[in-house]
This record gives sequence, C-alpha cells and structure tokens, in this order.
Amino acid sequence: MYTKSIIAGILTLAATSSFAAADKCGKVQIAEMNWNSASLMANVDKFILNNGFDCNADLIPGDTMPTSTSMIEKGQPDIAPEMWTNAVQELIDRGVKEKRLSIAGASLSDGGEEGFWVPKYMVDKDPSLATIQGIIKHAKEFPNPEDSSVSAFYGCPPGWGCQISSGNLFKALKLKDAGFELINPGSSAGLSGSLSRAYERKEPWFGYYWAPTAVLGKYKMVKVDFGSGVHPKEYINCITKDDCLDPKVTMFPPSPVYSVTTTEFAKKDPKAYAYIAKRSFTNAQMNKLLAWMEDNQADGQYAAENFMLNHKDIWSKWVNKDVQAKLEKALDKL
Amino acid sequence: MDNNRETLIEIEGLYQIFGPTPNNVLPKVKAGASKEDILAETGHTVGLQDINLTVKRGEIFVIMGLSGSGKSTLIRHFNRLIDPTAGKIKVSGENIMELSPKDLITFRRHKMAMVFQHFGLMPHRCVLDNVGYGLLIKGEKRAEWKPKAVSWLDAVGLSGYEDQYPSQLSGGQQQRVGLARALCTDAEILLMDEAFSALDPLIRSDMQEQLIELQENLQKTIIFITHDLDEALRLGDRIAVLKDGKLVQIGTPVDIMLHPADDYVQAFAKDVNRARALSVQTIMTPNTEKLVANTAAEAKANFPKNKEYAFVFDNDGYQGVLTREKLESLEDEAPLKGALHHIESVRPTDLLQKVIPLSLNSRFDLPVINKSGELKGRLEASKLADVLSPK
Amino acid sequence: MIDSSWLTEFPDMSRRDLLAIRQTLDGAYRSFSRAYGQSIEDFFNPLLHFLVWFEHLLIQTPWWIVLAVIVGLVFAATRSWKLCAGVLASFLAIGYFGMWENTMRTLSIITVCTILSICIGIPIGILMARSDRARSIITPLLDIMQTMPAFVYLIPVVMLLGIGKIPGVIAVIIYAIPPVIRLTNLGIRLVNKDTLEAATAYGATATQRLFGVQIPLAMPTIMAGINQTIMMALAMVVVASMIGVKGLGQPVLKSITNQYFTLGLLNGLAIVALAIIFDRVSQTYAKRAQRHMEGTENG
Repeated sequence: MYTKSIIAGILTLAATSSFAAADKCGKVQIAEMNWNSASLMANVDKFILNNGFDCNADLIPGDTMPTSTSMIEKGQPDIAPEMWTNAVQELIDRGVKEKRLSIAGASLSDGGEEGFWVPKYMVDKDPSLATIQGIIKHAKEFPNPEDSSVSAFYGCPPGWGCQISSGNLFKALKLKDAGFELINPGSSAGLSGSLSRAYERKEPWFGYYWAPTAVLGKYKMVKVDFGSGVHPKEYINCITKDDCLDPKVTMFPPSPVYSVTTTEFAKKDPKAYAYIAKRSFTNAQMNKLLAWMEDNQADGQYAAENFMLNHKDIWSKWVNKDVQAKLEKALDKL
Repeated sequence: MDNNRETLIEIEGLYQIFGPTPNNVLPKVKAGASKEDILAETGHTVGLQDINLTVKRGEIFVIMGLSGSGKSTLIRHFNRLIDPTAGKIKVSGENIMELSPKDLITFRRHKMAMVFQHFGLMPHRCVLDNVGYGLLIKGEKRAEWKPKAVSWLDAVGLSGYEDQYPSQLSGGQQQRVGLARALCTDAEILLMDEAFSALDPLIRSDMQEQLIELQENLQKTIIFITHDLDEALRLGDRIAVLKDGKLVQIGTPVDIMLHPADDYVQAFAKDVNRARALSVQTIMTPNTEKLVANTAAEAKANFPKNKEYAFVFDNDGYQGVLTREKLESLEDEAPLKGALHHIESVRPTDLLQKVIPLSLNSRFDLPVINKSGELKGRLEASKLADVLSPK
Repeated sequence: MIDSSWLTEFPDMSRRDLLAIRQTLDGAYRSFSRAYGQSIEDFFNPLLHFLVWFEHLLIQTPWWIVLAVIVGLVFAATRSWKLCAGVLASFLAIGYFGMWENTMRTLSIITVCTILSICIGIPIGILMARSDRARSIITPLLDIMQTMPAFVYLIPVVMLLGIGKIPGVIAVIIYAIPPVIRLTNLGIRLVNKDTLEAATAYGATATQRLFGVQIPLAMPTIMAGINQTIMMALAMVVVASMIGVKGLGQPVLKSITNQYFTLGLLNGLAIVALAIIFDRVSQTYAKRAQRHMEGTENG
C-alpha cells in the first residue's frame, strides 16, 4: 500500500514537471562548440535556461559549419551560443533571409580577433618582426622542420572558415614568393600544439590564431601588422570567399560573434530568446574566464558553475529579478 | 647377445620430480613416499624414481612401458632435453650433467641423434635438407653433406624424394626421413622415442625389419622406447620395463618372456604370441663354428670337435649340413656336394613362427645366417620348444 | 543517518585533489618537454630526413617510372598478371582524378610505417614468445595502444615534436603495431613442439632454433599480422592528417568538415584502393612463399 502510493506520487510528479516544461519552454538543444569559450557559454545558457526559464535544455557537440547547416536544414540545435558568422557568412545570410535563423545578439561584444601572430620574445629581439615586411625579410628565421628550403606559416585548421580567409591573405601577402609554405595543421589541437611547443622552447613560430582563446591568454603573442589597415568590403567580398581570384591585403576586421538561434525557438519562448539576446561577454571578461579555465583545467560545466557563483555582477544584468531569484536558489543547491 | 661388451651409457640414481620446488620434495621421494602421497601432500608429480641402468656399446636397449610410465621422459634425459632433479648420466664415462651449455650443444651434435614419434621434421625444408639438418647446424656446407644425405636417403629407400616436402610424404616415408636424418649425423647413439608407434601395423613391421638390417651393419647403440611388447621383444637385445616411473625389470627378451620379475611383467608377457614376437636371434645359440671346406679332406681337417654335424660353407656361402658319420665314410678326394643334407638356413630377424615348420622338419639345428651370408648362430629345436611352451 | 550520500553518489575524490594531480602531472610533462624536447627531436631527425627524402623521391620521379616500379614490385612479389593489371588500373584512376601527389605522400608514409612496425614489432613479438613475464607486461600495453583514443597521446607528442610527419608516424605505429607483435608472439608459440624439440636434440643453438625453425614456421601467422598492421596504418591516415601529415587524409578531413561529399568519396576510395592493393599483394606473396606448407597431408 505504502509503496504503491510512493510510485503513484513519483508518477504524478514526473507528469506535472514535464507538463510544466512543455507549457513554458520545452526541450532545447544547445550546440556546444569544441573550444573553451563556446563551451563555457553553452553551459551558462544551459544552467540559466534550465533553472531560470524551466527549460529542458541539453548540450550537443557542434562545430561552426555542421552546426549552422543543421540549424538551417533541420531546425536543430536550437541555439548556437558562439557563432563566428564570418566563417559561414553566406550560410547565415541565407538562413536569416529564409527566416530559419535569428541572430539574437553579440555573444562577444568586442567581436573576435583574428590575425597572423608571432611570439613576443621574437619581436623583443627584432621589433621589425611585428610587421609583415619584417617577416618577409627574415623569412629564413621561420624554418619548416620538414623542408629546410622553405619557411613555415601555420594556417587555419581545415573545415574552419578561417582556412579560406587565411589562405587568401597568404596569397595576397605573397608569402609564397617570400619562401613560406602554408602548413595545414590538420586540427585546432595540431595548431595550438605547434604553437605551445615553439613557445615553451622559445623557438620561432608564425601563423594564424584568434582570440579570445586560452592560448592567446596564456602566451604573449604579437599580432603582425600588414600595414594595410582594415578593408571590410574587400574582406567580406573576396578574402572570405573560396573563389576569390585576386585577393588584396587587409587586416582581419573584428569578427562578429553572435548568439544564433532558430527562428522557431525565438517564437516559441520570447523570454528565453530575450535572455539569449542579452547574454554577452567582453573580450577582457572572456580572457579572464578562459585563463581561469586553463589554470584549473576546468571543463565547460565546472567553469559555468564557477562563473554563476562568482560573477553575479555580469549575469544579473541579463535577466529580470524573478529569474535572478530562481537562479540564486538553484545556485544555493550546488 | 654377448655380455662382454663395454658399457657406454650409465644412469645412476636418476629422479625426476615435476613441480615448483622439486628439490624440497626429493628427500621425501627418496625416503620412499608413494607417488600418490607426494601428489596429495605437495602437488608435485614424481616422473621417475631411482632409475639405474647401463647401456652397452652396440646393443639395442628397449625401454618399455605403458603411457604414463615415464618412458618418454626417461629418454629425454639421455641428451638432456629434460634435466633430472637428481642423478648422474654418464656417457663414455663422462657425466653429462656437468656439461656447460656450449659443451652440451657440441655433445648433442656429435654423440646422439634422435628419432621422434611424430617425426619432428621441418615442414619448411625439403626432404634432403631435413636429412642433412644435423650437419647443417654443425655449420657444414650443403655441398659437403649433400652426397652423404643422398646416400642415407637411398639407404632408407627414399631416393628420388630429395626435393619433396615432408607434407607430401606418407607417415612411413616421413619416419624414414627421420631415421635417415638421425643416421646422417654419424652419431654413435640413436635415441628412438616411440619411433614406429604412429605408423600403421604393416609399415611398422617393415620399419622394424629395416632397422634390424641397418643395425647389423651399423652396430650403433640404440635406445628404443615403445609401449608395445611385441616390438620390444623383436628389436631389443635387452629390455627395461618401466612402471609408474620405476624400473621393474631389465633383461633379455627371453628373460622377460620366461622369467617375468613380477605380476605386472607377467601380465604383459602372457598376452604375447611368442612365436610372433620373438625373433630367431633372441633364442639362437651364438658363436657357432662353421666348416669352410670344398673337399672331404678339408672338411676332415677342420671338422668342429665334439660336434656330430657342421654347417658347411664354401666360397658361395652356406651349402648344407654335413654329419661326422657321413664325412667319415667319404674318400678324401670326394666332393662334399653330394654328401650334404640340404637344410634351409634362417635369418636372425626371422620370427619364430616362420621357422617352426623348418625346425620340425629337420633333425638338425638350423643355421642362422644374416643377409650378408655370415653364420650368426644356430637354432636348437629344444630351445624353440622351450620358449613356445606355455608356463 | 549521518551522511549516506555515498550510497547514491559515487564517493569520488574531491575536485581540489583531482585538480592538484592534473596540474602536477601536466606541469611535469611541460617541464619534461621543455628539458628534453630538443634532444628527442634530434633523435628522430634522421627518420624525418628519410621520410622527407622518400616522399620527394616518390613525388618527383616521373609518374610512369614510379608506376612501372610499383607494378614491377607487385609482379615480383605475386607473379600474378591479374593483380598487376588491377594495380595499374587503380593507380591510373587515382592519377586521372588528380590524387597522384597525395597518394604518393600516403604511400610513402605507410610504407615507412609498415617497415618500422615490422622492424620493431617482430623483435618485440619474439621477446614476448620467449618470456612469459615479457608477455604479461606487453599484452596490456598493446591493449592500451589499440584502444586509447589517438588524440590522448597525439597532443603530448605534438607538444614534444611539433606537428607533421614524425608525430604522424608515431601515432600510426602506436595504433598499427599491435597486430604484428601479437601474431609474431602467437605464431612462435604455436610452432610445433616436436619440431622444435627435434632441432634442440640435434644440437641447434637458441639462435639456430629461432631463425631456422621458429620464425620460418611462424611466418604464415606473422604475415597475417603484417597484413593487419598495414590495414590499420591506412585506417590511421585520416587521424594522422589531423596533426598535419600530408596525404590523402587531408582532403578527406577537409571534405568531412566542409561537407564536400565527392571530394571525400574520391579520396576515401583512393585510400581503399591502396588498402586493397597492399592487402592482396601481401596475402598473395605470403601464400606463394608458403606453398610447400599446404601439401596434401597423408596419414
């Protein structure tokens, strides 16, 4: 008799809670990209949506290209918290035009920073290396370990939007004529591995990288000046295009980094959507958080909990008092 | 056979105990604890205990026992494929237990050759290379040993098979290759571990015959392991019966047949068809004088004393039996031919059953003459009757 | 009822302790890499030079000479015209679809990896076969090598040696070497005891037993191991490309991430073609070399 009533109780509980979820927000899929800042954001979103908006949010692994394609074609996942839209500009534009995607807001308010970098210890020795002319002149100082006749430029990992843009800039800067070979690092792990190996041993390194990242937070790197300034039009119309025939030199403009959702999600729960639109970090905040993650070897979930506990000043601005109270209650239970 | 040959191999106080700490168990075994008690108490298996035997140069020494009696373990001590727990193994007076690993290899290369139950041929080498294997690993060049290997292959009746691989031969042929390999090394001692047990009965019998014939010329010292008393009786100059790791009896085939040491041996001997198991050489009387003569005068001069008749030989070999009585009635110049009784000779390797009718039909002993025409002895009808009559 | 949370939740180590362990080990690895990275790199330098030289050789030799040599080798190994024709057709198709250079790069690294795996794997397999203690130590290591996700050891290797061929070769060998080790061990252990005993009885030394009996008789099994090793090495081509190894893996990687299906399919098929060629050639060669072993067994 007693057991029966317990089972009944559990059943009712389960039923009501699922109904409650269906009423308000329901199932939400959040893409967790495979780099730290995006993972942190995805986990923050998951915590806030689940505890503040009664959603049933879940993370699925993602990457820029496959996630955006899937969002447009399949309407899943619902949220991509950190989307570097430059990389998939056409795709996003089409998605917005066809009313499948909604750009909620900037997830990194300063925008992402991309460029070609050299370690600071090299620039300290020879300040001319901070400019592309200096690099070209001293190309021999960046030997390719597998082929001493050419110099090494570490490009962007394959499949990333930056593979096209960095490749086109490599062409525009005539680095090949200067004796450089564009090395495909194979993966972001390969790229960061090659950088940290060189940095730990104070060896030369020259290649593409981006911020905010733990690597650029940890290692002191100097962004190489192309001496051209930023030409956003050229950058958007040619440098990011695979079929750009005659690329011209331009610095990378700050990359817009957006929180993107499916239009369906935006319509289904405007309150949650409003939160996504407001949720945003400055590069300074994010670098600090990434450095904390790196030092503590934290994963996204641990970092998100830490962020929620210690940075109320930041997240309290994203939600109203009601939700804030709910979240604080949830945090007490952690 | 003759008992005056020198001792070649001596085994003294040999024990073999299998298990993790055999040396701790050894005193108990020496004190006489039974095999079962040792196993129950210590988990050690007693393989061989207190083996003492001597093998003489040039004899075929058969070690006989049922499976599990330890016979295959015992033969592996002769060339130290297995090291004993305790005991001495002397070959030509030298204790081979004291050989360094390097000397042991030299010893195995020069002193002993082995024939295995399952042949132990190298499937990846052709027949010729198998036969020459013993010489090959001594470092001799192929060109040097090839003629020898070819001639041994011929001796076992396999010429023409040089380039075949073992898998292309029948079991009997493979064992002939194994035998040729053993003979090709010129080792003085041949170890044969159930060499014929895996063969069909007919082929086994062929191989036994071939071994006896080869042995007549080679005079090797052969240690032969078998579980088959018929085979032991047929081949052995002496037979050692092994039971549960202990030697029960060592003796000549006739000893074993006629004077079994205990019930165990008797049980074996009882089932044997002696006429089929024993060969002439096991019961013949050796050292028989022959009479070499063409004329009665020569015969008179050389006629064995105290004998009523003699086996007459001339340049063409054995001719027949001549009685003293008949000889004395002959003129000196008369040819012997007409005076001889034509008594058929028998071979040392002939089985008794084959010679029974001949013996019954003759009032004389039968001459025992080997393949090359030499007189090895005579077969007395009384001995034959003695052996064949059941106890 | 004091605190029974361990009943429902695993009583795991505190985050602080785990963190301390992780930081200590990572720190230790970093200082190791800083201190010895250069000397380890120097150690691998001759191999790197060889790899670069071999790749250049394959790419810079005119294609028809390379093709002729490959077909010649295939014929020498297998004596099969059919197989030669198949190899020729596959390589012509690969070249026609513009994958010649990448195929040569992959061919070069796979060849080197296979040779190294054999040179390292067979002695280790022999050691395993001769010593039960060695076997009990090596077997779990092989299990780890085969199941550990490649990137777990790849990134530390990249920290140590940079990206490119050497870490690629190391990754491929770690993944591909276990079969040749396992099957060498197995092959030698399965050698007929009678045959081995016969060799001992005739006074063969340990070396003579190993090279005259054990290895020749274990050869069919060892060849099966080598075959498996080649197949696994080819399977690692894509993973190796993720740390900057050039070859057919990179276009595959590119097409996976960019969803260029045709490009992926073509390069994938080129890898498959290489695999089939290696497989058939090594198997046919093994069969041919062991022909005498399969004579009809007579009673």
